Amino acid sequence: MEAPLASVRHAVSVRHLSKSYGSTRVLDDVSFDVRPGTCVALLGGNGAGKTTTLKCLLGVVPFQGDIEVEGVPVQSRGKDARRQIGYVPQIPAVGEQDTCSDALSFIAELRSVGADRVGWALRMADLTAQARMKVGELSGGMRQRLALAAALLSDPPVLLLDEPASSLDAHSRRELHEMIARLRGEGRTIILSTHVLDHLERLADQLLILDRGRLAFDGSVGELSSRVRGNRLVVNLNGNSPRDFMQALLVAGIGAERVTSAGLPWEEMLLAASTSDPATQEERS
Amino acid sequence: MNAVITLARKEVREAVNSTWLIAYAVLFTLLALGLSYLGERNLGSVGFENFSRTTASLLNLCLLLAPLAALTLGSGAIAGDRERGTLTYLLSQPLDRWELLIGKYLGLAASIALATTLGFGVAGVVIALQTSAMDLGTYLLFLALVLALIVVMTGIGLALSVVSKSRVQALGLAMLVWFVVAFVFDLVLIGMVSATSMHGGGLLAALLLNPIEIVRVLAIIQLEPDLQILGPFGSYLLERVGRTNATVILSAALLMWMALPVTVAAWLFESRED
Repeated sequence: MEAPLASVRHAVSVRHLSKSYGSTRVLDDVSFDVRPGTCVALLGGNGAGKTTTLKCLLGVVPFQGDIEVEGVPVQSRGKDARRQIGYVPQIPAVGEQDTCSDALSFIAELRSVGADRVGWALRMADLTAQARMKVGELSGGMRQRLALAAALLSDPPVLLLDEPASSLDAHSRRELHEMIARLRGEGRTIILSTHVLDHLERLADQLLILDRGRLAFDGSVGELSSRVRGNRLVVNLNGNSPRDFMQALLVAGIGAERVTSAGLPWEEMLLAASTSDPATQEERS
Repeated sequence: MNAVITLARKEVREAVNSTWLIAYAVLFTLLALGLSYLGERNLGSVGFENFSRTTASLLNLCLLLAPLAALTLGSGAIAGDRERGTLTYLLSQPLDRWELLIGKYLGLAASIALATTLGFGVAGVVIALQTSAMDLGTYLLFLALVLALIVVMTGIGLALSVVSKSRVQALGLAMLVWFVVAFVFDLVLIGMVSATSMHGGGLLAALLLNPIEIVRVLAIIQLEPDLQILGPFGSYLLERVGRTNATVILSAALLMWMALPVTVAAWLFESRED
């Protein structure tokens, strides 16, 4: 039986969330809970509803259903709910012409935070040396750290990160992952939407997989793995035909029970893995 | 309310750091000085005119330029943020939608008003030093009317910005509105008067639909004691309505125009899916 909203202490509770843009249903009856101090990865392909879910959590778009953040209902007390949330957008959206210090001061003022937090945020993001540098002159990794610093200014218990690593190189991505791990270690609840799998298994305590607006999976990485039966082996065919490869396996007496093309979007593979019915795990070549 | 002030301050700061504000102020100053200087030339001598003549010369120019600046800049506010992706980010902060809108509105209107005042201020000082006949009160009153028009037009621009999908669309709509209120409205009114022999009351009611015309008539009422420049409509205002009543009616309409667009913009913004 479904637990009533807020009967258990959750950092975030979502019940029967639906959202349409015009006649297009973007989210359809999505429900999930997030425990405090955990990191949740919101996964799904383009148009799955990840960003819309985050917008609903922030209360910046109207929606149907109920959402509570730290026990605060988003629909009726959006402003209070947003005080509990630090948001890092996909494209760091602070003034290009502002200095890092000014950009943070502006957010600090909006969040009624003392000016002393600006210095703290710059140190936290390792941007003290760039304090007088304009935001437009920062590298992608630095901008992302600045956006994260801005989100942490008011020390919110919940962090929402929208595709935080999508525009980062491998080094910056690793830095970001380390920072997220550190923040989770501090007891913050983190919800991040992502399509970058690197180190995800180490970061996320809970996976939410969206498929065309519906929640296809809600569980841990371990639970997801247990649903994938047998072992997987990825073979680089160097441009050779998968059909020829299958033929070669058969000639060699090796039964090719299930071959999954590595070229498929990983979300699709995850979705295939998330279903409990092995029959739907189609053979792909 | 803190959020409103913070947002307004940021708008002003960004405007001061941008080139448009300086360019706009310089343009206003040069035009004010140029019109005053050249106005005397038409009368046979070259030199600076006094304030009354200068303000009269500036009237038509201001009624074109100030609405254009306010409409175009107002139209870029929300649409620009939406396009840059900053709108969702701002809305993700602990503030209400109306606070964001009003903060931007006040900041933008203050920036344009600041640039206009700067332009007129410099021109006013130069003209005052060059001429003996000084009608500073009229000059300041005229400036106040232009500032009120800026507030109105910034609000209309903001409303257009809220309903537009892109910055280009918002700008296009702003230009269309400017063209209608600055040019088409007059032509339509002249046509209607000719075709329907519209009487003074009808003409006054029609004028209230256009804030530019409201400011124009208010300025003329203050500048021209006999209202001859308004022709038969001037006689109607003087004899049937009375100067004071006309001023009250037009001022009330101007105040309504100052409140209405931004109220509509806030109402529309509340229901937007941004």
